Amino acid sequence: MSTPARIARRFLFNVLAWAVVLVIAFPLLWMLLTSVKPSSELFVIPPRLLPGEITFEHYRRLLTETPFLTYLRNSAWLAAGTTLVVISIATLGAHSLVRFSYPGRERLARLVLFTYLLPSVVLIIPLYLLMAGLGLANTLTSLIIAYTTFALPYALWLLRSFMKAIPDDLESAALVDGANRMQAFVDVILPQALPGIISTAMFTAILAWNEYFYALVLVNNDAARPLTTGVINMLVTSFNIEWSLLMAASVMMSLPLIVVFAFLQRYLTRGFSAGAIKG
Amino acid sequence: MPTIRAASASLRLRSLDARYGLLGALLIAPTVLVFCTVIVYPLVSAIYLGLFSIYTPTMEGEWVGLDNYRRLLASGEFWRSLANNLIWTAGTLTLQIVFGILVALMLHRNLVFRALARSLVLFPYFLSTVVAVLVWRWLFNDLYGVLNHLLLWAGIVDLPVDWLGSMPNAMISLIFVGAWKYFPFVVIAVLARLQAIPDELYEAASIDGAGAWARFTDVTLPQLRDVLIVVVLLRTIWDFKEFDLIYLLTGGGPIIGTQTLPLMVYKEAFALNQMGGASATAVLMMLIMLLFMSLYLSRARD
Amino acid sequence: MSGIRFENVSKRFGGVTAVDDLSLEIGSGEFVSILGPSGCGKTTLLRMLAGLERPTGGTISIGDRVVNELAPAQRNIAMVFQTYALYPHMTVAGNIEYPLRKRRVAKDERVRRVREAAAVLELEALLDRKPRELSGGQQQRVALGRALVRDPAVFLLDEPLSNLDAKLRTHMRAELIRLHRRIGRTMVYVTHDQLEAMTMSQRIAVLRDGRLQQFAPPRDIYARPGNDFVAGFIGTPSMNFLDGRLKGTGSGRTFRSGDLSLPLGMLPLTDEMPEPDRRVRLGIRPEHIHFDRQGEPARVNLVEPTGHETILVFDYRGNELVARMDGDIAIEAGDTVKLAFRAEKMRLFAAADGRRLNDDSTA
Repeated sequence: MSTPARIARRFLFNVLAWAVVLVIAFPLLWMLLTSVKPSSELFVIPPRLLPGEITFEHYRRLLTETPFLTYLRNSAWLAAGTTLVVISIATLGAHSLVRFSYPGRERLARLVLFTYLLPSVVLIIPLYLLMAGLGLANTLTSLIIAYTTFALPYALWLLRSFMKAIPDDLESAALVDGANRMQAFVDVILPQALPGIISTAMFTAILAWNEYFYALVLVNNDAARPLTTGVINMLVTSFNIEWSLLMAASVMMSLPLIVVFAFLQRYLTRGFSAGAIKG
Repeated sequence: MPTIRAASASLRLRSLDARYGLLGALLIAPTVLVFCTVIVYPLVSAIYLGLFSIYTPTMEGEWVGLDNYRRLLASGEFWRSLANNLIWTAGTLTLQIVFGILVALMLHRNLVFRALARSLVLFPYFLSTVVAVLVWRWLFNDLYGVLNHLLLWAGIVDLPVDWLGSMPNAMISLIFVGAWKYFPFVVIAVLARLQAIPDELYEAASIDGAGAWARFTDVTLPQLRDVLIVVVLLRTIWDFKEFDLIYLLTGGGPIIGTQTLPLMVYKEAFALNQMGGASATAVLMMLIMLLFMSLYLSRARD
Repeated sequence: MSGIRFENVSKRFGGVTAVDDLSLEIGSGEFVSILGPSGCGKTTLLRMLAGLERPTGGTISIGDRVVNELAPAQRNIAMVFQTYALYPHMTVAGNIEYPLRKRRVAKDERVRRVREAAAVLELEALLDRKPRELSGGQQQRVALGRALVRDPAVFLLDEPLSNLDAKLRTHMRAELIRLHRRIGRTMVYVTHDQLEAMTMSQRIAVLRDGRLQQFAPPRDIYARPGNDFVAGFIGTPSMNFLDGRLKGTGSGRTFRSGDLSLPLGMLPLTDEMPEPDRRVRLGIRPEHIHFDRQGEPARVNLVEPTGHETILVFDYRGNELVARMDGDIAIEAGDTVKLAFRAEKMRLFAAADGRRLNDDSTA
């Protein structure tokens, strides 16, 4: 039944709902708009929503006149390094937790969940001393090591749920068919877990890409600084704050996330039920 | 080497289950190793450091026992930070839950371009806190920020508002930005649960004469109960330990107006160079969090 | 050459006993069904035989080898799972070939044998498909093919037909019997479906709560159930039971239940009644009840015509009694009739432990 009243109600709901969505998305929209506005338009009173002309000047300056590219490279290395280390360890670990039995297994699984909730500020002081003691202060390696503190429990927990969803019978069938446990893992479990491994890897990469606190404490020079602390450093050290430059940096920092996010859409709920997407 | 060979030879004789158990232990060994070095050792070490008075630059210190804790519990700053921590957590959590449920209900309904709307709503959650804070500081800018202009133009205020530099504005701003950044988590959780509620429940309720509101309170809310409990516990834990957002947005200021416990730990350790005191603060904070953590852990016992 | 022997095998999961001190010997080349209600331990038994679970006690042998501590790969067995457990990322050919690859069979030999197995199961046209593109029946055949290709000593089948529709199930039953005749390998078939067990197997092992109730050919299971559980579990509708006492001796022996008295003179007993007035259960199958003017009066409670037969539910002196009669019988609920039991078909069980008491070698 689509009476006029019904159609009007639907229309009203759509307008209202989209208004809410746009209000929520406005800060991001504003970031994008600011980054392509000429500096002169930035301080017009009252502010104009749409830029009079579009410029990529700020992006050019960001890439040529600031250490942004160094930060970007550091962040990429960090995300890739953390993901590689964490996913290799966690894939084996999750397989062990799901399909093997040995004393202490359940307790270990609970410890994983516990550490996943642990506040970084408790670990940071000993970690800081540890890195200094190992001579790793101010290196990307120290950050990769530090990032495993939250990324490993997270990846383990997520992968554990993905692997639990693979039927036991598949491994049993492989064993009966003549495989040993490791061959069954490689031939059957890994291919089945691959989508889960890829999405966990992406979530892990996002965590590393976005991390701020450890980078703030453990790295204090531009050579090893990732984007998060690097861009903030640009903010604090500049004489007058150039908002368009910062917004351009923000957009650049967020671009990889958009790509990953688009890919991960269908895993979001899964990521949630696995003990949630970290935040 | 010979001992290893002897060990593996004796293992060959042992039962299949024992061999499987050994393989399982081998696979989890890297995890355990990493856990011990980067989590368990620092955790124990933090508790130990809390019993010393250590000057950061020289790393020299002496055993002071529980003095750090005594001093903390007697200090106004600790209690103020704890109070701030609770206000921030309760405030932002409430907003996250309320917005989260409302927006999830909205996105659950038939909306044009629903997928796009969903992405736009969820995206802030995946954003780096650094980006979120930069954007909001630009929006909050007292002279050129859009927010002030909007309010001035609408006639809600007569003078530009100092969003981050005065109290209680700074705390309110924090709570709002926190809600904006983290409410998508609630949306994801609630949306997933909403999609799992069978239509028959609503049809049955309609047949029984339930109106739209009754259907919400009698069907939707009870179905959401479990997921909301988990969400509230998780978000309580995460909001309570939040550092980045608060540090970057207000730095704990004005003075210590928005300083929470994680910020206090950071300040003591790396600005005041008191590693021992900072460790004690961190341990105290963790003890408070343990309440929520154990609640969550007992619920997650699937 | 490849018989199977369970000797005092037990399996406990924590505090739950899944299989309890079970002994069973399966002949080489025999088709044996393990039958029982769900949760009776039959799948656990099969998984222990496959090496997927370890017994808590006892020994399991295949051929003359004790296999307790052998990995599944070393047991020379093949298994068809209830869920089929096809590898989703491999094609049909890949699935069937997998056991050969794990045994390092040469490439051209593998191709030949896959083609052979596919021919037997009529899968040639599907070899390049992925499992998810197949129907349930086709997946089932692929699972069989994967087991068949290796020519193992023992085939283990865990409810392989339970996910198929009724028509396909009947068809596959016949196929499996044909297959067994062709290859002559030992087959252990786990099912909860008595029809499958009765029609396919040479012998049936009936399990309940992890304990072996009876191990005998289908006909014996039906005609000479070892105890009242087997008697009640096999046959639809189930055997009727009347609880009562045994009176008298020799040819004057009678069954008494309330004011009902049935002469049992011609039923030979397996043992002499040690105690007088012994409590027993009298069992009679629905098809062994007939109308008889000299019989006991019974009231018809329910008439269920199925076409070729009619199932009648009686009130027989306070007991519910189910009988199977001709399809064209003219009778209505509420009628009172007189019933008698075929004397030589009555089965007597001890009330205490359910053991069958009458020896029916005459029947």
